[in-house]
Amino acid sequence: MAEELMEQLDNHTAFTIPIFGGIPVPDSCVVTWIIIAVLVLLSIIFTRNLKKVPTGSQCILETFMDFLDNFFTNILGKKGKKYVPILETFIIYIGFSNIIGVFGFVPPTKDINVTAALAGMAIILVQASFIIEKGPLKWLKSFLNPINLLDLVTRPLSLCMRLFGNVLGAFVVMELIKHCIPGGVPVIASGYFDLFDGLLQAYVFAFLTSLYMAEALEEEEK
Amino acid sequence: MGIIALGAAVAVLTGAGAGIGIGLATAKATESIARQPEAKGDIRTALLLGCALAEATAIYGFVIALLIILSLGSK
Repeated sequence: MAEELMEQLDNHTAFTIPIFGGIPVPDSCVVTWIIIAVLVLLSIIFTRNLKKVPTGSQCILETFMDFLDNFFTNILGKKGKKYVPILETFIIYIGFSNIIGVFGFVPPTKDINVTAALAGMAIILVQASFIIEKGPLKWLKSFLNPINLLDLVTRPLSLCMRLFGNVLGAFVVMELIKHCIPGGVPVIASGYFDLFDGLLQAYVFAFLTSLYMAEALEEEEK
Repeated sequence: MGIIALGAAVAVLTGAGAGIGIGLATAKATESIARQPEAKGDIRTALLLGCALAEATAIYGFVIALLIILSLGSK
């Protein structure tokens, strides 16, 4: 039983693209494509026939988007309005990919390459927002403070490891529960581990990224 | 084999720190809600964020223990 658990913790190659001597496409990539397709489909369905006075599914859409917009605008302030869409994309993608364990797929964030890529994108976003708002000279000058230099390494590391560790831990515990008590108990446990923990980690990732950006964007008192 | 198990067990001891930290945070949060019930929403947001951040150190320990068992134990 330990062997099959260890077997599941590795990432498998789903198929190999037969050009350039075979490019292996891992499982997490295929599931990400599925998530992309689902999200695009949902966006098309929900944004058809938008009316000025909302009814039905448009209400749900507006509530959801209002919640996300207010959440990020509270942290970033008025100057950060152009960065809100990418942060919303982060939270929707990570939220979806953590939850997709409920539907029987392997969550793509269980692969450390995915979380490392997401953390790398987040840090590049933070530094880019600093350069755009304050100019490249102030960005270089900010590195005279050695804590900023250290932050450049520790922040993406902690973002990556927090997300990876939480998703991996939830996955391992759910596999063990499903193996030992295969009745209706996994449903209750999945409610906490998969749903609550997955959404919380997506929220924490987006919140921390926006907090770092707010730090970079804040105005200095003269 | 024995020392690998010991190593993994020591790595997971970081969970103690997370437990203490989150316990303290929750204590202060309930105290401040009792003192000012109107700020319930803000306090709840701050508490949730603090708990997720404090849990991260416990998760790091868990990941290291898993790596020890998987990469050293199978040799």
